Amino acid sequence: MSLPVHDINPGADARLQPVRRPGGISPWSRAFDRLIGDRPAMAGLAIVTVFFVIALGVWFGWWGGKWAETGDGQWLPPSPEHWLGTTILGQDIFARAIFSTRTAFEIGLVVAAASTLLGALFGALSGYFAHTAIDGLVLWLKGVLDSIPFYLFVAAIAFALDGNPWAMHIAMIATFWTTTARLVRGEVIKLKSLEFVEAARAIGLHPLVILFRHIVPNTLHILLVQATIVFVAAIKSEVILSFLGLGVQDGVSWGLMIAESTSEVIAGHYMNFIAASGFLFALVMGFNLFADGLQDALDPKRSGR
Amino acid sequence: MEILKYTLRKLAGGIPLLLGVTLVSFVLMVYFGPDKTWELLSKNPTAEEIAQVRSQLGYDQPFWVRYGNYLRELATLEFGYSDSTGERVTTILQRTVPVTLALLAPGFVLGIVLGIALGLLAAWHRGGWIDRAVTGLAVVGMSVSFLVVIIAFQLLFGVVLGWFPVRGWNVHDLPSYLHYVTVPTLASVFVALGYNTRFFRAVLVEEMARDHVRTARAFGASPVEILRKNVLMNAMIPIVTRTMFSIPLVVISGSLLIESYFGIPGVGKVTYDAITSGDQPVLKAVIGLTAVMFVGILIVNDILYKFFDPRISLGRTALQ
Repeated sequence: MSLPVHDINPGADARLQPVRRPGGISPWSRAFDRLIGDRPAMAGLAIVTVFFVIALGVWFGWWGGKWAETGDGQWLPPSPEHWLGTTILGQDIFARAIFSTRTAFEIGLVVAAASTLLGALFGALSGYFAHTAIDGLVLWLKGVLDSIPFYLFVAAIAFALDGNPWAMHIAMIATFWTTTARLVRGEVIKLKSLEFVEAARAIGLHPLVILFRHIVPNTLHILLVQATIVFVAAIKSEVILSFLGLGVQDGVSWGLMIAESTSEVIAGHYMNFIAASGFLFALVMGFNLFADGLQDALDPKRSGR
Repeated sequence: MEILKYTLRKLAGGIPLLLGVTLVSFVLMVYFGPDKTWELLSKNPTAEEIAQVRSQLGYDQPFWVRYGNYLRELATLEFGYSDSTGERVTTILQRTVPVTLALLAPGFVLGIVLGIALGLLAAWHRGGWIDRAVTGLAVVGMSVSFLVVIIAFQLLFGVVLGWFPVRGWNVHDLPSYLHYVTVPTLASVFVALGYNTRFFRAVLVEEMARDHVRTARAFGASPVEILRKNVLMNAMIPIVTRTMFSIPLVVISGSLLIESYFGIPGVGKVTYDAITSGDQPVLKAVIGLTAVMFVGILIVNDILYKFFDPRISLGRTALQ
């Protein structure tokens, strides 16, 4: 068994050394270069971009608009007219899968943006005021939310909101911010003892200005990676929540399509299942690859390269 | 003695968390939960009858009194009767929890053990093709939805190949147990493996890069010896944490999907039925108990930390 070599990157010597600018290279441009050179991450980004264009097209009404239209033929096989066949009601499965892309992006973007903001806010406050009552309160809230099983929490919120279609989003946002907050808290604790914060304090800036103008922007690398991870988690959770009847209430989504297909596959009608799970898998895979690359590129521990 | 004091302090530290968890579930499930007044009344009730039923249900009590009652219900395990079947909730749980444990245990253990094994394999060959293959497959595994895996495996093993039953739970001895548990186990291992492998690989890679591992190698220790003594033992804390914290996740989320798809009468099926039919007493019990279980796991986990790493200072509050 050959010994693994840890510190040598096989491609490093073959790569062109970047031209050093007078002030050195900023960590962001170094991360960007690294990301561009990461083939799986770029493939992931390409997949995500394709899906995003599909979602945009649905928004602008270019395609997918006929997802609810019923036709005569039920469970038709794929044909030039219906690329992926039809459902029990004669609806075009391809149009439904396309329209669901928009649903997925809506859920993913809303949940990722809101829970990242919340995580940044709470994480920053509890990190800057570490070991005070504010910190204690945030940690307590985080501990409480982490202790309740996610699907049951959604069920409880759906219960309390009495079938409100936003119950799913609210539950996801309320639970997904905790990981982001934990990471931001750790980073803020590290940053607040650095000299630039000391300097800001010395010239008499308000603590909240120091925190949100000078410290939080330096946690952006964590927030970016977390947002991509939350996006994936949100669209994967949607599938399971829709199956439980707690997910998307109106419109169509991959989760609803899969839930619908569960009785069909036994009878030998696979297209609904294949279409929805295929689209879902491709988008999640693309996002996972991109998130991995982003995490690697932004990892400060690897800045030596 | 010291460990006892530490344990007691950890237990005390769990109290605010317990209060918070129960408060959230109380507010969502009971306080803002469905109003059952009208179900208990006859047609055209008088104001007096309404008031009587409301006080019978405790709706006229102030918030904190009702919360106190809820806590007492939890502590004495008195959850009342299921709305849909009329069975006592505790009886339902007694009947279904053993089924769920028997159903999930093999998949849970296999998922962790195989995850560690694959993580070790990848970490040992870090950067090589084995590592790339393992991490690549892990990302693929992470990208498949649990629901899709269950449906696909049911189709493959139950319908196409016809090797295993994919519905029901007719278990009376070991062969029948193995017969029924195989496909659910395969599905849960498949789903857990991607995440577990990646996590354990990251942990083990970090451990293997340490100086004492290099020193052990330089002294000519065998790979197996190094992996066991220098790497695995030192990686025990994250491994134990991960394992412990997966338990509530697997028990609830895993059983919810597997049992409702395979028609297995475990606690997940009961919860699924309660969610879809809005059976409040059952949901209340499940949410309350799993949250309490999670807090218990947090505390046990802290105590295990101490066991695996005696250097951990007894004053540190790892509950944070």
